[in-house]
Amino acid sequence: MATNSTFVIVKEQGWRMGFANLLCNENLELWRSHRWIKQAGLWLLAVNGFVVINLFVLPAIILPDENVSSMMDPVSEGIRALFQIGTTALAIGTITMTQGKVIGERETGITAWILSKPVSRPAYFLAKIVAHSLEIIAIMVGIQSVVAYGLISLANGEAFPLLPFLIGVGGMILHTFFYLALTLMLGVLVKTRSQVLGIAMGLFFGGMLLPNLINQLGLVTPWLLPNILPVLALQMQIPFVTAYLPILMTAIWSMVFIIVALWKLPRLEF
Amino acid sequence: MDKKNGIVIETQGLSKSYKGVEALKPLSLQVPKNSIFGFLGPNGSGKSTTIKLLLDLIHPSGGSATVFGLDTVRKSPEIRTRVGYMAQDQRFYGHMTARETLRFVAGFFYAGPKAEIEKRIDETLELVDLVGKADRPVQGFSGGERQRLGIAQAQVNYPDLLILDEPAAALDPQGRHDVLMIMERLRKHSTIFFSTHILDDVQKVSDTVAILNHGELVALAPIEELLVGSGNVVYLFTTIGDGDGIQTLLSDMSWVTDINRSGVNGRTQWQVIVDDEDAAEAQLLRSVQSGSEVTVTEFGRKKFELEEIFLEIIKESNHGNK
Repeated sequence: MATNSTFVIVKEQGWRMGFANLLCNENLELWRSHRWIKQAGLWLLAVNGFVVINLFVLPAIILPDENVSSMMDPVSEGIRALFQIGTTALAIGTITMTQGKVIGERETGITAWILSKPVSRPAYFLAKIVAHSLEIIAIMVGIQSVVAYGLISLANGEAFPLLPFLIGVGGMILHTFFYLALTLMLGVLVKTRSQVLGIAMGLFFGGMLLPNLINQLGLVTPWLLPNILPVLALQMQIPFVTAYLPILMTAIWSMVFIIVALWKLPRLEF
Repeated sequence: MDKKNGIVIETQGLSKSYKGVEALKPLSLQVPKNSIFGFLGPNGSGKSTTIKLLLDLIHPSGGSATVFGLDTVRKSPEIRTRVGYMAQDQRFYGHMTARETLRFVAGFFYAGPKAEIEKRIDETLELVDLVGKADRPVQGFSGGERQRLGIAQAQVNYPDLLILDEPAAALDPQGRHDVLMIMERLRKHSTIFFSTHILDDVQKVSDTVAILNHGELVALAPIEELLVGSGNVVYLFTTIGDGDGIQTLLSDMSWVTDINRSGVNGRTQWQVIVDDEDAAEAQLLRSVQSGSEVTVTEFGRKKFELEEIFLEIIKESNHGNK
């Protein structure tokens, strides 16, 4: 039996205890299992499928009626498809995919197992947030945006202006991250998977209705971002506060969710 | 480690309540270094609660505990660098193989060298006889295989303290035997604190036994002491010849509280209960042999099976609680 003296001992301290190993494990699960290929393919269909339809299919099948064609600028519609339908789809996808990431492990006892190792509770949560954020940035938004940018530029006949497009992409990442942070936080706060799913979906679909009833809600939540992002990407006129306050508030809410989860986790019992 | 007295685990009035219901009543115990400490009790007696408190998976309602002299609430991550734990009904990531699971766990303790880590994993797989299944996903494992993997992952870091919650519960007799053998082998390196409701296992490997019932510590003693029995001491002996004289002789002794005799094939088997162990040790055999009409063929103090002791203690405890 080799003794422990032959090993390089992990020296992490404080909240970082176990973080690197947990992050590595979360990433391995995604990248080595080829789940990322399936994910990328799925989102390619779900997001860029709509972009293709709006850029190339609809203009080809709609009769050359003057009124209709003036309304249906393919590039604008492609941008709308990406930032409106795509953002909405990514939010629903994020909630669905991550709803069991914390609560599922709590229910099966895997969290207790992991926390019986030299792991800090913040590290357990932060590893999940970081790993899934990378997944969002790289696969769910990154690849889709690159493909969509190419398609939109093709339809545009020249490169679409990059900066406004990137602002839209940033907003899309933030919007998706909001629902990631919300879902993972709910996994810490509530006790069943159905509660996580119900509350997260309830907030998402409620967000489609509530700003129509109380206009100001749209300014302090991410709920209007799917409408705002195409406007920003197309460089259309929009009041600064109406455009950027929801983006700022989405970032703030996301941070609040993480802080709440980090506060609650050490108080949980497993 | 608390170097002063070689105590690995110490609890002082450690308790846990859920909404006013006491899952663990104030518990004070000490677990010495390199011992195998059997934590015994019926289901729901508070064994797992105690273990989870030691690992800070749940928070105490009262009292305190130290492991290696470190407070279990304030210094838990540091403590866990030296602990291996296997939960009751241990679950793993189903998509991982046994080898990957051990690699994942080893990653919490060791940053390298990679070859040494792989060697340790191979040794551990061999120890629990999972070499043949090392590269299969854990989701296909039987209960017994999961149990063995549980033990493997708990000791992959050669912990100073191994905490096993019902390590043999899901195993067949051969599997149980193997687990007990593994525990015996590990005691050279580790202190083992294990909970079980399988009395036979405790009797086979434990040095010290604590018995919990309804969240209360009802017995705590070295196994040998516990097996002698609680309260009155019982002597068993066999004689050949007329035993009436012995009966009269024993009846006159103030420290003899009960005498039972039964005859088979000219032999008389005696069960004598005494309340003064020292007097009995000094006088009983001599007195019996002094009866000229009898020959003593066997003489000894009754050793109880742990099951008898356990049932008696639990019965007394339940009676006391009513």
